Amino acid sequence: MTAQTVQKAVMPMRLDHRPGEVIDRGRELTFTWNGEEYPAYGGDTIISALAACGERIFSRSFKYHRPRGLLTASFLDPGCMVQVDDEPNVRGAHRRVEPGMVVSPQGVWPSLEYDVKSANRAFGRFLSAGFYYKTFIKPRRLWPLYRRMLRRFSAGGRVSAGPAQGYFDKRYAHPDVLVAGGGPAGMAAAVAAGRAGAQVLLVEEEYELGGHLRWGNELDALRVLREEVSRTPGVEVMVNSVVNGRYDDNWVAVMQRDLSHVQERLVKARAKTLVVAPGLIERPYVFEGNDTPGVILSTAARRLINLYAVKPGDRAVVFSANESGDAAAEDLRRSGVEVARVVDARRDGDILRAKGDGKGLRSVECADGAEIECDLLVTAAGWTAPTSLANMAGDRPVYDERAARFFPSILPEDLLATGGIAGDGTLDELLAHARATGQEAARRAVRTALRLRAGIPQRADEQEEPESGSSPVAIPELPISAHPALFRGKTHGIVDYSEDVTSKDLVAAEKEGYDSIELVKRYTTVTMGPTQGKLETVNAVAIMAEATGRTINETGTTVWRPPYSPITLGALAGRNFEPVRYSPMQPWHEIHGAKPLVAGAWIRPDHYGDPASEALNVRENVGIIDVTPLGKFDLRGPDVPKLLDHLYINRWDNLEVGAVRYGVMCLEDGVVFDDGVTGCLGPERYIMTTTSSGAAGVWEWIDHWLQTADPGWRIHVTPVTTAYASINVAGPKSRELLLRLSDGLDLSPEAFPYMRVREGRVAGVEGCFMWRIGFTGELSYEVHVPAAYGLHVWETLMQSGADLGVGPFGVEAQRILRLEKGHFIVGQDTDGLTGPYEVGLGRMVRLDKDDFAGKPELAWQSERDSRLRLVGLQPHDGSLVPPEASQIVENKNEIVGRITSSRMSPTLGRSICLGFVAQHLTTPGTKVTVRLPDGERIPASVTPHHAHYDPEGTRQRG
Amino acid sequence: MVEAAPIARSPIAQAAPTTIKHGWEVSARRSAADLKIIDCTPLAKILVLASPDGEVARALGVPFGRAARDPHGTLVVGSGPGEWLLLATPGTSPAVTQRVDEVQDEGLVSVFDATHGRAIMRITGAKAPDLLAKVCAIDLADEVTPNGAAFRSSVAKLVTDVVRDDSGGSRSYLLHCERSSGQYLFDALIDAGDEFGIEVDGFVDPGKRGVHRV
Amino acid sequence: MILLPCPYCGPRNASEFRYVGEVSERPDPNEAGVDEWRTYLYARNNPAGWTTEMWYHSAGCRQHFVAERHTVTNEVRTSRLPKAPPRGEQEEQATGGNVAVDGGGAIY
Repeated sequence: MTAQTVQKAVMPMRLDHRPGEVIDRGRELTFTWNGEEYPAYGGDTIISALAACGERIFSRSFKYHRPRGLLTASFLDPGCMVQVDDEPNVRGAHRRVEPGMVVSPQGVWPSLEYDVKSANRAFGRFLSAGFYYKTFIKPRRLWPLYRRMLRRFSAGGRVSAGPAQGYFDKRYAHPDVLVAGGGPAGMAAAVAAGRAGAQVLLVEEEYELGGHLRWGNELDALRVLREEVSRTPGVEVMVNSVVNGRYDDNWVAVMQRDLSHVQERLVKARAKTLVVAPGLIERPYVFEGNDTPGVILSTAARRLINLYAVKPGDRAVVFSANESGDAAAEDLRRSGVEVARVVDARRDGDILRAKGDGKGLRSVECADGAEIECDLLVTAAGWTAPTSLANMAGDRPVYDERAARFFPSILPEDLLATGGIAGDGTLDELLAHARATGQEAARRAVRTALRLRAGIPQRADEQEEPESGSSPVAIPELPISAHPALFRGKTHGIVDYSEDVTSKDLVAAEKEGYDSIELVKRYTTVTMGPTQGKLETVNAVAIMAEATGRTINETGTTVWRPPYSPITLGALAGRNFEPVRYSPMQPWHEIHGAKPLVAGAWIRPDHYGDPASEALNVRENVGIIDVTPLGKFDLRGPDVPKLLDHLYINRWDNLEVGAVRYGVMCLEDGVVFDDGVTGCLGPERYIMTTTSSGAAGVWEWIDHWLQTADPGWRIHVTPVTTAYASINVAGPKSRELLLRLSDGLDLSPEAFPYMRVREGRVAGVEGCFMWRIGFTGELSYEVHVPAAYGLHVWETLMQSGADLGVGPFGVEAQRILRLEKGHFIVGQDTDGLTGPYEVGLGRMVRLDKDDFAGKPELAWQSERDSRLRLVGLQPHDGSLVPPEASQIVENKNEIVGRITSSRMSPTLGRSICLGFVAQHLTTPGTKVTVRLPDGERIPASVTPHHAHYDPEGTRQRG
Repeated sequence: MVEAAPIARSPIAQAAPTTIKHGWEVSARRSAADLKIIDCTPLAKILVLASPDGEVARALGVPFGRAARDPHGTLVVGSGPGEWLLLATPGTSPAVTQRVDEVQDEGLVSVFDATHGRAIMRITGAKAPDLLAKVCAIDLADEVTPNGAAFRSSVAKLVTDVVRDDSGGSRSYLLHCERSSGQYLFDALIDAGDEFGIEVDGFVDPGKRGVHRV
Repeated sequence: MILLPCPYCGPRNASEFRYVGEVSERPDPNEAGVDEWRTYLYARNNPAGWTTEMWYHSAGCRQHFVAERHTVTNEVRTSRLPKAPPRGEQEEQATGGNVAVDGGGAIY
C-alpha cells in the first residue's frame, strides 16, 4: 500500500488537492479525540480533521442533548465546542490541530454516542420556553438535587481548578485607521488608507486574510489583494484576532491571538477612524430537523471543500436562495458528491423537514412531497449583517425588506462601514466602495489627529501643518440585491442552536405575553448562548414579527454589546500591574526575617518574630522602626502658615523656627481626615508629615485649596515622602545611641527639647533632620535621612547600639506601644463620621480662626453633645483581648459603643483597648459590657485616660 | 564609634557584579543587547518650582512638555506647569542648584535636591517604543511625542515622568518615578521587554562619555 | 473610555483623572447656615445634559480643571483651569495662568 492509500483509508473524506486549500499535506500530525487517535494535516482545524476521517457528531445540545455536528465550519459553529486538554469551550471549527492535542467532547454523559440525557426529548414539554423560571422550583427541598443534576446536564466544559496557565499580555495602539475584518473589502480599505498615508491596523478573525474569497473561485483577486496589503507601508496586520468592542471616542478592544510567546493579548487601540468590514454571516433556515448532523450551511460546505479538502457527505440536497447555494452545489459536484436535488427557493422550492437517526441525516422531505435519501443537506437561506460594532457606536440597524437583512443606519463621524454589511454588488464594485471608504477614513483620521495634537505641549515645533483642506472622498453607493425573505419554513425547528430554543418556544412565549423581542430574549434565552445572536437573532426577530403580526422593523432587533467574541478572563486581566513601594531599608528587613505587612502600596515589616519583645525592648532599652511610609511634604513660601491654618483645626501662625506641632485635619464635613506633625525648619520652610495611608489624599487636598480656591498664596508644595528614609529611634537609651552618630548636634534636653526639630549630620550623612516626638511614649527621635543613605544609617544604628540592646521593631510593636499610650489612629479608631470632639480633641479646635476646612461643621459640633466618645477601656479579666469591632452593649442587645483597638500589653501584662462609648458611659470607672463576636459578654471598665501607660507623659519628655 | 563611609544606594537592586562609583553602588554589567535598561538613579536631580512666565523659566528655556540640554550638559525637563527637573552628572547637585539660585526672579522660586526622592531608568533601543506601548497609553509616534518630548502619565499603573531622549540615533526614553516604586517600575519594564530581549546595562558615569550622553 | 482634554496635557484617557464632582460654590463659612453649607457639601444637580464639573489630573500634571461635559454623549465642549472668585489681593499664581482650551464642539 502506498502512503496515499493509507491516508485514504484513515481519512476517507479527504479530497485531492484543492487550489485554495490551507492544509499542509507535507505535515502529518496525530491528536486524540474522544479517547482515540486521529490523523490530521498541518492547518486542519479540529473539526476539519475529524470530518476528513468521517466523523459527523461532535457534541450534544444544551437542553435536549441532541447529537450535533457541523453547521458553519467557522469560529461560530455552535455544535463544535470541545474541550482541549485543560481548556473548555474551544471553538473546534476554528482551533487548529496541534500534535498530541487531547480533545474531548463536552456535556456528554455517559458518552458521545449514547447519551442518556437525550431522553429529554421525551420530556421536552418540561423544557419549554422559560423552563428556567418554571421547572425545578417545587418542592423547594429538592433544589440541591435539581442543582446537581442540572450541572451534569449543562453543556460547558471542565474548568481546570489548578493555577492559571499561559502568559497573557496587553498593549496600547494608536492607529489612524483600524479596519475590523480582513476580507476583500477590509483589505482594499486598509490598502487605500495606507496609501493615503495613514497608519492602519487590519484585524482579521481567521488565520489568513481573504474572507469569502478564500473559499471562492476568485483566487487571483485574492492573491493580488494580499500582495497589496503586504506591500503597503504602514499597514499592520493581525490575524486570528478579533475586534471585540468599540467604546467612547473610538477606544477599540482587539483580542490578538496570533502570537507565539503569548496566549492572548488585549490590544487597547485608540483609533482615529474605525472601518467596519465584517462581511456577512450566513443565516440558518428554521425547519423541522434543521439541527440534524449533516444539515450544514452553504458557506460551511464551501469552506470544508475548498479550504480543507474535505468532502462534506456522499449524497446531497441543496436548498438554495442565492449564489452561495449555487456555488456550493457546484463545489459539491466537483468533489464527487452526488447532488440529488437542488431545491431553489427563488422558484418557490422549499424543504419541510430533515429526518435522521442517531448517526445523522437520512433523508429530506421537500414541500412538493418528495422525500430524498441523503446524508447532506446544504442550505443557503440568506445573510445576517454583523452590525455589532456599529451598534456599540450608537447605531440602530434598519431592516431592508428587499434584501431581507439589516443594514447600519446612521454612523458617527469616526466610523465607516464597507463590504457586505454596506451592500452587494460585484467584487469590483465592492472593492471600489472599500477603497473610497479607506481613503475617506484616512482623511478623517488626519482631521482628528490635528485636533488631538493641537492640545498637547510635547511637540517641538509650534507650527502645526495646516489641514490639507481636503474635501470628503466620494464613496460610491453599493447596489443592494433582492433576496427572498427566508427565516422559518412551514415547520418548526431550532432557532438558537447553542441554547436549544425552537421557533415553537418563541411562539409560545409570545402567547404568554412576552411580545417584545428584548423580553422574549430574556425569557427564552434565545441569542444568549455562545453564538450571541450572530446566527439566530434575525430569525428570532422574524419569528416574533410573524407571531405578533408586526413587521420586522416594527419588531426591531436586540442590541449587540461587547464583547463581539468570547474573551478569556486571562486576557482581560493581562499582565498584573500592582505598583508596590519599598523603603530603602527593605533589603535589611528581608535578610532579618521581617514578616511583610501590606499597607496600601507599601510593603512594611510587621514584626521580626516577636512583637511583644520588640515593644518591651523599646520600653527598656532602645528600638528602631522604619517609618519611611509616613507622608512628608516640603512646604515653602511666605504663606505656608496660612495654608496650615486652613488645613488644620488648630493654630499655626505662631509656630516658630525649630518647633514642631501636632495637627489634625478635617474635611469640609467636619470629619477627621488625617493627622500628623509639622515642623518649621527655617524661615518659610516647613516639613509636614501625614499618616502613611493619608499622604496621597492630603497632597490632593492641598492641591485642591491652592488651585481651586485660588487664594493667591505664595506656596510651593513638594512631596518628599521617599526622598527621606525615616527612622524612629525610641526608648530610654535613644539619646545615648544617637549621640554616638550625630556629630556636632547637642542632644541635651535643654538644647533639643520635646517637640523640637534639628538639622544636621547623622552617621556621616549630611542633610538629615530629626524631631523629638513621642508616638511610642518613650524618649524618641524621628530621624529623616536622604533616602539613598537610609540603609547605611539603619545599619550604623544597629551596629553602634549593640551594647545598648538596640533592636528593630515593626508595625505591630508600634501599634502595641501607641495603644499603651492611648494614641488613636485615623481610620482605625475613627470612621467616616468621627469628628474631633468625639476623639477628645475638642480643645484643639480654634473656632476663632477666620476660616479653615470644615469650620462651620465644627462650630455646630461644638454646640451639641457628641454621640459617642473615644475612651480607654480595660477588660476586668486582663487575659482576655476582645477582638477589634466587638460591640459594647446595654440592656438586652442595645449597641452603645464598640472596641476600636485592642492588644495584650506586654508592659502592663494585661489587655488594653480603645473604644467608642455613648456619652453616659464616659465617666472613668464606668463598667460596660463588651459582647464578643461569639456572643460571650465580658465586663470592662472605662479608664481615666486614653493612655494606659505613663498618662502624664514624663517618659517622652525626658 | 562605628562609622563607615556612607554608600548611596538606588532603590533598584543592582545586577551583579557591583562596584562603587561616585559613592553609589552600581552594576558593573555591560550589555550589547539591542534593547537595554539602565538604572540611572545616581544622576543629580534638581527640582525647580517657579512661575512659568518668570526669569527662572526664561533662563531654563524649556517649556512644560519639552526637554533639552543646557550648555553645561544638564538635561532640563519641563516636567509640570511651573515645574522643572534638571538631570546632571552625579554629585553636581550643589553646582546646578547654585546656577538656578543665581537667577533673579521676582516670584517665588524653590530649588530642591530631589536626587534621593526619585528613581530614574533609561531604556534604549529601536524596540523601546514597542516596550513602552505595552505599559503606557500615550501615543509614542514622532508626530505626537518627538525627541525631546516630556510627559507624565501612567506607566504600568504608576505615575511616571517620561522623557524621550534619543541617544546616538537610537530611540531612548528616561523614566522617573517616586523612589519607593523604582524596583517595581524596573521589574515591570523588564517583564514587558522580555519578548524583545531586553538586558540590564550598568550605569556609566556620563562625564566619561561626555555630558551629552547622560 | 473617553478622552478628557486636560488644559495642560491635552487629551488623555479618563483613567488618568479623578472625578472631583460638579462645581459647587463654597459659601462664606462664617455666614453660611446649615442648609446652605450642606447644599454645598452634598446637593448635586446630576443633569442628563450639559454639566460643569471639576476633574483632577492625578496621573498627569496634578492640576484641577473645569470641564463642560454632556452626560449623555460624553462630549466635552470646554475645559479650563478653575477660576475662583478673587479673595484678597490677587498675587502671582504659583502654578501658572489660566489656559483656555476650545474643545471645538468635538468629542475629543
